[in-house]
Amino acid sequence: MKPDATALIADDEPLLRDALRRQLAEVWPELDIVAEARNGREAVRLFDERHPDICFLDVHMPGLSGVDAANHIGRRAHLVFVTAYDHYAVQAFTQGALDYLLKPVEQARLADTVSRLKARLQSSRPAINTELLLQQLSEQLAKLQGGGGKTDVLRWIRAQAGKTVRLIAIDDVDYLRSDAKYTIVAWRDGGKPAEAVVRTPLKELLEQLDAEQFAQVHRSVVVNLRAISHVKRHDNETAEIHVKGRDDVLPVSRNYLHLFRQM
Amino acid sequence: MHGWQNGASGLFLRTTILGLSATTAFAVFEAWPRRLPRWLQRWALQVVAVGVFMPVTTFVIYMLSTPEGAPPFWETPSRMDGWTHLTFAGLLLAPWTALAAIVRQKEAFARDQELAFALERSELERQALDARLHLLQAQVAPHFLFNTLANVQALVDAGSPQASAVLRSLTAYLRAAVPVLHESAATIDRELQLVRPYLELMQMRMPDRLAYAMSVDPTALNVRCPPTMVLTLVENAVRHGIDPSEEGGRIDVDVKRLGERCVVRVTDTGAGLQQSASGLGTGLTTLRERLQLIFGDAAQLRLTSGAQRGVAVEIDLPAHT
Repeated sequence: MKPDATALIADDEPLLRDALRRQLAEVWPELDIVAEARNGREAVRLFDERHPDICFLDVHMPGLSGVDAANHIGRRAHLVFVTAYDHYAVQAFTQGALDYLLKPVEQARLADTVSRLKARLQSSRPAINTELLLQQLSEQLAKLQGGGGKTDVLRWIRAQAGKTVRLIAIDDVDYLRSDAKYTIVAWRDGGKPAEAVVRTPLKELLEQLDAEQFAQVHRSVVVNLRAISHVKRHDNETAEIHVKGRDDVLPVSRNYLHLFRQM
Repeated sequence: MHGWQNGASGLFLRTTILGLSATTAFAVFEAWPRRLPRWLQRWALQVVAVGVFMPVTTFVIYMLSTPEGAPPFWETPSRMDGWTHLTFAGLLLAPWTALAAIVRQKEAFARDQELAFALERSELERQALDARLHLLQAQVAPHFLFNTLANVQALVDAGSPQASAVLRSLTAYLRAAVPVLHESAATIDRELQLVRPYLELMQMRMPDRLAYAMSVDPTALNVRCPPTMVLTLVENAVRHGIDPSEEGGRIDVDVKRLGERCVVRVTDTGAGLQQSASGLGTGLTTLRERLQLIFGDAAQLRLTSGAQRGVAVEIDLPAHT
């Protein structure tokens, strides 16, 4: 007779760890829960120490997520994912024939999962190969947590001011001007003109800016089109930009003059 | 030169020239000089210019129409009479006509502006609606709701006396959250009714990772603000500060009234910007846009971050009650 099966529970919410342990005790009294982890990193460490047969992993945990932890564990244990509500994750689990539980965990559903796990342990079938699937899943989750793919456009510029970092909303920026190693950000602090310095090169910033709102007008100048008061043209194929509420005059070089041709 | 002097055609020619000169004066002073001294209104300048042009033009017409060798027109009583009549008629009619034209012009301009404003307003309304829909999704996010319910379930199953307190917090949160979504203005007091149970619930879920404190100036309670303003700040601190951090942190909510201003500050000691770079800002960006729509430059949202950990978000808004 094989010794009793062992399991690990990983969830960052202590009440939910307790609840799952209690529910498991009811439907599978012989299961020995050998470890409880508070985050993905702990789950990985405890797995390496105790080598449980089964891992119940909360998908959403600080630091390493449940999916990341699963990646580390691989085929060395049977995996069951636990999630509160994650449409995409559930879809991925179903497609990949991965075991998952929805919080709050229903007793009947848990019983189903348990009988499946028991059958697998009995036949000593190896855990299914999940490597590729988990990879895709973790990429998908990372994208979702990044704000639904809307992160391509820069919304805030981080500028160092002493020991703190000030975040400047991109709409408040009048123009950017590169200056040797730095980029000078001319912006509005509550309507008042202000300047800040960032280390990111102008070229790199420009790539992340919304092209509808910001335009390069000179090798070293990118201007917020909404901040332009007027453009004065000169005879020698150059022009200068006057910025609203500032005395600053920005140069427009010949290559960018076409931006300000009259309609 | 004969036509200048008499008959119907002569009169017609003179009046036409007079009319043209009035129109010219009107048009010229509409744009010139580009800058006027402060005490001089452009419409007044136009009307006066038209008035002055009348006798001058008439004078020029009569000078030009005097045959060579003839005495100047003011020495011929009949021509002098003609000059007087024409000038008088011109002075009587032209400035009034100019005035009427200006009024019409102003009306057309106002209509134009009104149309532009209406267009802008509908755009703003659409944006506000978008923001509210966005909030609706964020607020009663299924993830939050089901996770909290799972906790309630756990407490009930365990027969914990804490269960009823948690249910009470959840009820308070939902009661405050649901109507707020339909309103266009809230008060700080109402916001705190949302923030308190939210923090209670979060702390129940992460007792080892979340600590919080609130310090609220009672005179700020009735200050009006856009709905879910404070909640967005707190939620942001939980989601991007505490949640991604293994060791968690502390959230401080500080509301002050400084005369005509109200300052709401939410600080956390969580993951900071280094760790949760990408997600930060979606909620705050929307909030910032909403503040801009309502207050313009009168309200500011400031975001600062510690070098290693923690983020502070401060909203400084007019204390309207």
